[in-house]
Amino acid sequence: MASYRRRLEQDLDGWIGRGLVPPDNRQAILDSVGEGRRLDAATALAVVGAFLAGVAVIAFVAANWSAIPRLARFAMILAAFLGASGGAAWASRAGRPIASQALLSVAALIFAAAIGLTGQIFDIAGDAQVALRGAALAAVLLAAAGRSPWAAAVGLVLLALGDLVGEPVFNSREQPGLLALAIAPAAAVALVWRSQALAHATGACAILAVLTVGELFDARSEAMFMAGAAGLAAGAVAARAVRERYDAPAGVLYGWFAAGALMWFGIAGYYDSLRGVAHSVAWLALSAAAIGVGRLDRHGGVTAVGVIGLFVAGATLLFNLGVGLLTSAAVFGSLALVALLVAFVLRRRRPA
Amino acid sequence: MRLPSVPIRIIAVAGVLAVALVGLVVREGVARAQGREVRLAVGGYDPRSLLSGHYVQFQLSDRLPAETACRWKGRRLEQLPGGWLAVRREGAGHRIVGMAETRAAALRQGEMAMRGKVTCIGAAWTPPGGTRQESSLSASLDIGIDRIHLAQDEALRIENALRTTLRPEDAQVILSVGADGKPRLKGVIVGGERTELGWF
Repeated sequence: MASYRRRLEQDLDGWIGRGLVPPDNRQAILDSVGEGRRLDAATALAVVGAFLAGVAVIAFVAANWSAIPRLARFAMILAAFLGASGGAAWASRAGRPIASQALLSVAALIFAAAIGLTGQIFDIAGDAQVALRGAALAAVLLAAAGRSPWAAAVGLVLLALGDLVGEPVFNSREQPGLLALAIAPAAAVALVWRSQALAHATGACAILAVLTVGELFDARSEAMFMAGAAGLAAGAVAARAVRERYDAPAGVLYGWFAAGALMWFGIAGYYDSLRGVAHSVAWLALSAAAIGVGRLDRHGGVTAVGVIGLFVAGATLLFNLGVGLLTSAAVFGSLALVALLVAFVLRRRRPA
Repeated sequence: MRLPSVPIRIIAVAGVLAVALVGLVVREGVARAQGREVRLAVGGYDPRSLLSGHYVQFQLSDRLPAETACRWKGRRLEQLPGGWLAVRREGAGHRIVGMAETRAAALRQGEMAMRGKVTCIGAAWTPPGGTRQESSLSASLDIGIDRIHLAQDEALRIENALRTTLRPEDAQVILSVGADGKPRLKGVIVGGERTELGWF
């Protein structure tokens, strides 16, 4: 925020100099932006001190863990969880939303650890997947209670781990995962709560979720990847459509979904039934389209994904054509020259 | 209806989750105390990893013939449907003698039934112009319990005893099998010495 304010001050001085903005409005405009919150040295040192004290306590407890009676260990874990939750409630009441969110996320993580540690303390055997899904449910409940997108992101990550842990990915899992079902609600919550953190977690998990639905496609991986690419592309279109209304989180989702769609489309082409020139050409065309749409929307992520796709699809096309390395180098070199030439011409035509 | 404030909601959810965790511990403790005791022979999972951290890792000595617990699915060997193991008393301990789809079917093979799985290992292939070949087949048992967490000195003592134990029947895991058929760890017997889990 501070750097934006500095830039605004410079711009305002320029605009006032050119008569675009009345000088009397300068202070009012700057006041509307506000001063970014700065961490003074004393606060920073206090934070570092508190962090080090926490690490010291954890190390001391860990060193004596097996000497502590089982019930006392369990009580310590519960106290840590309730302490973090209580802290989040206090911070919310005190009007400190960031602290409340951070503590609620910590509480969700402590509860996930508590499930595992309770199993260890009392030798309760259980399924790791059930434990992780239970921890995910707890995180989602905490998120809903505190309107905390960070805790919801923790829940989503735990759900992803629950779907992927201990199970073979791709074809052999017995049941479709739950992660795929959670993506749409998580994306909706990210938009409504305007949370980029939850949008990032949702986007990354949406890409992973494709790996958890293999059972629906009767062990045909290429069909699973193509369906995943289609679903993510639909998500990218939807996120793009609501970008005006929901701004940053929609943009984040748009980038992740576009990246996942292009990635899974490309990977599907490495399977025998789809491998060939036609797939590589389609991949090239989609990558080029991503660059075009990314430039149109001024979305750096989508543009970058298109550029990467263009390179990989181009290399795959040459491989599928059976072209040698020297010819490939010549083709890539020629394309690079053409791109540079077009860029040069466009730059020359740009009005001053 | 008006929702309670955010701090109240956070405290309420945290309280419910804490109570759920305590409930889980109490329920498992009660089930462990009330279940029927089963003792199965165990061996070290791996001589180098008998003791890792503060737990002793082991694996069941009993095996089932792969033909009775597994089936072919294409070129892959997989577990038969169902997850009930038949248990029969033998001397001072018990043995797992079969696998069945239902509890009733398992009880027809043994005196007790408990939940468990098998890991089927085997592969098949057909060389060009040849007949179908199969590797050696095996089915190892998985009851979801493969370690006991102990204090370091206790774990070290058991590790030493396991190293000097010559007969397989001298090392046993003590399970409690409840009405739900789930086996729960109660303790271990190594070299005649019984170590049971407690609350403290």
